[in-house]
Amino acid sequence: MSALLEFDGVCFSYGRKSDEAGFVCDLNFSIDKGEYVAIIGGNGAGKTTTSKLINGLLKPSEGRVTVDGLTTTDHAVSKLAKKVGMLFQDPDRQICKNTVREELAFGLEIRGLAADEIKSRVDEVVSDFGFAPGASPFTLSRGERQMLALASVVICDPEILVLDEPTTGLDYRECMHIMERTRVLNEKGTTVIMICHDMEVVLDFAERIIVMAQGRIIADGDSAGIFRDEDVMRKASVLPPMMIDLSLRLSERADLKDRFGGFSSVDELLEILAKSTSARARS
Amino acid sequence: MAGLLDYSAGTTILHRLHPLAKVFLALGICVAAFLCKNLIVLVCLLAFAISLGLIGGIYRKTAKLVLGLLGIAVFLFILQVLFIRSGTPVLLFITDNGLMTASFVVLRLMTATIPLALLLVLTQLNDLSNSLVKILHLPYRYAFTITTALRFIPVFTDEMSLIMESQTARGVNFDTKNPVRKIRLMIPLCVPLLVTSVGRIEQAAMAAEIRGFYLRTRSSGSKDYAFRPLDATVVAVVAALILVAVLL
Ligand SMILES: Nc1ncnc2c1ncn2[C@@H]1O[C@H](COP(=O)(O)OP(=O)(O)O)[C@@H](O)[C@H]1O
Ligand SMILES: [Mg+2]
Repeated sequence: MSALLEFDGVCFSYGRKSDEAGFVCDLNFSIDKGEYVAIIGGNGAGKTTTSKLINGLLKPSEGRVTVDGLTTTDHAVSKLAKKVGMLFQDPDRQICKNTVREELAFGLEIRGLAADEIKSRVDEVVSDFGFAPGASPFTLSRGERQMLALASVVICDPEILVLDEPTTGLDYRECMHIMERTRVLNEKGTTVIMICHDMEVVLDFAERIIVMAQGRIIADGDSAGIFRDEDVMRKASVLPPMMIDLSLRLSERADLKDRFGGFSSVDELLEILAKSTSARARS
Repeated sequence: MAGLLDYSAGTTILHRLHPLAKVFLALGICVAAFLCKNLIVLVCLLAFAISLGLIGGIYRKTAKLVLGLLGIAVFLFILQVLFIRSGTPVLLFITDNGLMTASFVVLRLMTATIPLALLLVLTQLNDLSNSLVKILHLPYRYAFTITTALRFIPVFTDEMSLIMESQTARGVNFDTKNPVRKIRLMIPLCVPLLVTSVGRIEQAAMAAEIRGFYLRTRSSGSKDYAFRPLDATVVAVVAALILVAVLL
């Protein structure tokens, strides 16, 4: 069985071919149904470009992107949008209706659903997210607007959800709110691809990380392993999450390496500490 | 479309011209285009306007500009030819009067638009507003308003394309070939455009105020704008152009 999303030798450039800037190339990866993947890398690494290649907003100049068997070059974005939902950084570019209810219904109307079907789905989402359906989107706070933008994407039930820096400008609570939503969706089977600058969030939510630098993929693998690769971290100009950083530094000391070389979360560290104190108490 | 009216840096003779001489040149060509009653002179004026772009060394932008205007021109031409009923028929329903009027309208449109667009591409907005303030004694707040409005055009076009991208990703079918349908789809997007733009403008106004907008006087600004013989030559040439346009 083939993967849900496949990048096969994909290259894309905004300007002339020879320009190094605005150039992504040699993108090869595939993502299966139900995965939760993070794309990380410094500014200008090509993450947003890659995300736009996923739903056909940009078409590859070389190679092929296939979404659930559809090659993006052969299909209109509006058709691919039924499979790929995309949440951008700025909710204000997306929200264009006068009430929360209309905004939520908009995506379904475009897809030509029947009125009663639309109504029942909107009602469901409104109670699920706890929105006030009659409110004007522009009276909501930034975090609530981002939540509304997310809701009006997921109401269409996309197979793949792409999030481009969904939590920039949100406070911790709002950020967690959005992220928990994506986790729930992922558990129900939605494939999530998230671009994120907050490595703590990435470690908490993503199982797999694709690291980009200068328009290329420089690493692709499970999160804990990627964050421990100092060479990759330096090339991507990101700092690993604090707990992994601590673990790496502790493991630089020969006497601590065995015990502290492998944790990647507070819970794991606590477990190690609990084990070693109880061992000492016994001896 | 984005970036077409942005400043292109350069050191050509047009770049070095006095900002007001450039304004005079651009407006002069516009005036000449509207006063001109001779088709051949009008074509020459258009050629002159386009050649300014080439002298300014902005070949690609000039080409894009001309092509873009050509699109509008063809549309206008067809409309005019279809609707003007006076004169003698030449072919089917097309009359000689229609052809003549349509040619004039289209040529005038292009001849008047191109120099104004080139003015923006070949002059730094700061130079433009400073010289308007210093030499023509235009109150700074008006000059600032004009230049800011112009500066925001590319910001708005970028913003609009980002909004359209965002909506396309939701499944709005902008890839449609039907222009009426496309415009119908775009109208609701004015809401997000307005919301983000008003926010931007408010920020810009605040930033200007914090930096002492009201302290500014006519003599503020570190550059002096002196007229040179070249500028006088340009003014003379423009005056001659207008004269030719009126007389021929
Ligand atoms: N619309 C565009 N036109 C030209 N160049 C662009 C455009 N968008 C992005 N770029 C360039 O492409 C490169 C990658 O950008 P992007 O994919 O947005 O990076 P990231 O999201 O990782 O910060 C950058 O060098 C950027 O300047
Ligand atoms: Mg980005």
